[in-house]
Amino acid sequence: MPADVDPDDYEDVWVFIEQHDGEVAKVSWELLAEGRKLADKKGERLVALLMGDDVDEIAEEAIVRGADHVLVADDPVFEPYRAGPYGAQFAALVEERNPDIALIGGTHTGRDFAGRVAVPTYAGLTADCTELEIEEDSHLLLAKRPTFGGDAMATIKCTTNRPQMATVRAGVFDPAERDESREGEIEHVEVVVGGEDDAFTRIIERVVSDVVDITDAEIVVAGGYGTEGNFSVIEELADALGGEVAATREAVEEGWAEPARQVGQTGKTVRPRLYIAAGISGAIQHLEGMNDSETVIAINSDENAPIFENADYGIVGDLFEVLPALAEKVREAKGEEVASDD
Amino acid sequence: MTREWNIVVCVKQVPDADDVSIDPETGTLNRSDAAAVLNKPDYNAIESALTLKEQVGGTVTAVTMGPPFAVAVLETAVALGADDGVLLTDRAFGGSDTWPTSLALAAIAEELEADVVICGEESTDSSTGQVPPGIAAHNGWAQLTYVEELEPAPEDEELIATRDIEGGHERIAASLPVVVAMEFGANQPRVAGLHRKIYAETDFEPEEYSASDLGIEDKVGLANSPTSVGGMDTADPVPRKKEMVEDADDLFEALEEEGLV
Ligand SMILES: Cc1cc2nc3c(=O)[nH]c(=O)nc-3n(C[C@H](O)[C@H](O)[C@H](O)COP(=O)(O)OP(=O)(O)OC[C@H]3O[C@@H](n4cnc5c(N)ncnc54)[C@H](O)[C@@H]3O)c2cc1C
Repeated sequence: MPADVDPDDYEDVWVFIEQHDGEVAKVSWELLAEGRKLADKKGERLVALLMGDDVDEIAEEAIVRGADHVLVADDPVFEPYRAGPYGAQFAALVEERNPDIALIGGTHTGRDFAGRVAVPTYAGLTADCTELEIEEDSHLLLAKRPTFGGDAMATIKCTTNRPQMATVRAGVFDPAERDESREGEIEHVEVVVGGEDDAFTRIIERVVSDVVDITDAEIVVAGGYGTEGNFSVIEELADALGGEVAATREAVEEGWAEPARQVGQTGKTVRPRLYIAAGISGAIQHLEGMNDSETVIAINSDENAPIFENADYGIVGDLFEVLPALAEKVREAKGEEVASDD
Repeated sequence: MTREWNIVVCVKQVPDADDVSIDPETGTLNRSDAAAVLNKPDYNAIESALTLKEQVGGTVTAVTMGPPFAVAVLETAVALGADDGVLLTDRAFGGSDTWPTSLALAAIAEELEADVVICGEESTDSSTGQVPPGIAAHNGWAQLTYVEELEPAPEDEELIATRDIEGGHERIAASLPVVVAMEFGANQPRVAGLHRKIYAETDFEPEEYSASDLGIEDKVGLANSPTSVGGMDTADPVPRKKEMVEDADDLFEALEEEGLV
């Protein structure tokens, strides 16, 4: 056994609340909803952990969204985010309070520092999970994650070590509902990070723009390498349908779309009612990000493109003809609606 | 006066992602005869290691952990321009999850007196992305993940990175030693020259280390891995209608029927 651990000494489900400059990452609320279920199943507390500078309002929101207890590490050293201070503070709290389960959003931030908690505490860490369950008898966390580029689902367990940690993909769960009547306790914890010396790094510049969040979109029109860089047809259809533009990794690498619009294993998970894939071959890494879409439409000139096996409706054809024609039909229909309204 | 840097680049042998596909008939996993290749994102790591060496001087040593035949990926790295290669190979490593794997790589990085360790963003077979931060955590070093661009500042013993963050990017300076995870596709990997290729295939011999050479024989392998695989299922393909339609008009009708427009 790797560590001398008695699982009975560990309890509670922890959820890390990721915030930057007062903005909470939506995945944190998704995790509170999932964490609530796990905690109820185990009959334990749901504890939210928050780090930042002046973040009490967020702590209160965490209670409204389901936490029983909020641990707040409030200090300027936590803003902006850096792996060193976050990892050290989180690891110290884990060592002091023995949580049984700790969940962190599978964002760049979460995946950046999770290892700096799991390594020193010798915790079992499962990356980028998409399903969480509690095993009936053992009460162990079953963390499920796609592997082999999304072709297989692995169930990862951690039987000997504690805590059972997981980073969890954004966008796969519904966020926790607000309930103003909920009550909980906010506790300010001792900040253990010894200032800049423990930080290893220094932020020179941080540029965050108001980028779109495609994970929320009801309709997504995605373009791939087949657009040959002409995304205007994608934008035009998205505009007509009132949806968001998304892209494959190939298209992002070519600079045709912003990285925030990438769908897939290394991009975002979207769950729209309608996903239109144009000039996209349907590589497994891309499918992983769009599989939760309700209805999928594929437009591809190659009748053997794998995307057709993963679509509800497919057209073998040139996207430069199909998309504008469809956009036109949609605009016409909407025009009629407006006309019939008056 | 600045000194030259010891640059270590971590590479992994994986089943060829292009060979792993979904069988359209059965919806099951097809990877029976997938060839073993260098993990794609590691090409970006090698490229940035070589570029860094060109900028500050020093050496690039490729490191891999795996069975003896994993030497093939070291040969690829040497053919591309790495000065040397190290193979961590030992039955004791078998079944290691990310905790012991990053320990082994951290130990060799220490042994090689690395100033900079560069990894790919994640591996195409398991894609945890946990190994680079794990190496940094084991050694108590700085880390820079999701890196798009590196700028060395040898006069300050610092490495500056532009890294991708949610909604934007940041420039961040880390003191050496530092572990870097290059973002997949962050640069244009060079092509191996013929002479280098011949050298890698004929004359190059990696230095080999066992777990006990690194003094970690009691801390690696399956028994020392905090996580274990409790089951593996083929991901169920999402059921789709797979209805083929002729043109935009038909498509529009279908959308209307489904109440989507
Ligand atoms: C570790 C790793 C992570 C990855 N992560 C992601 C990820 O998150 N997201 C992602 O998308 N990919 C990811 N990939 C890349 C993925 O494997 C594919 O390379 C990528 O999805 C292909 O993009 P594409 O479909 O746009 O391009 P292609 O595969 O080149 O397909 C283009 C398609 O366009 C069609 N076409 C061409 N012209 C037309 C036309 N005029 N009209 C209609 N159709 C046309 C072609 O028939 C073809 O099917 C990852 C790969 C790796 C190794």
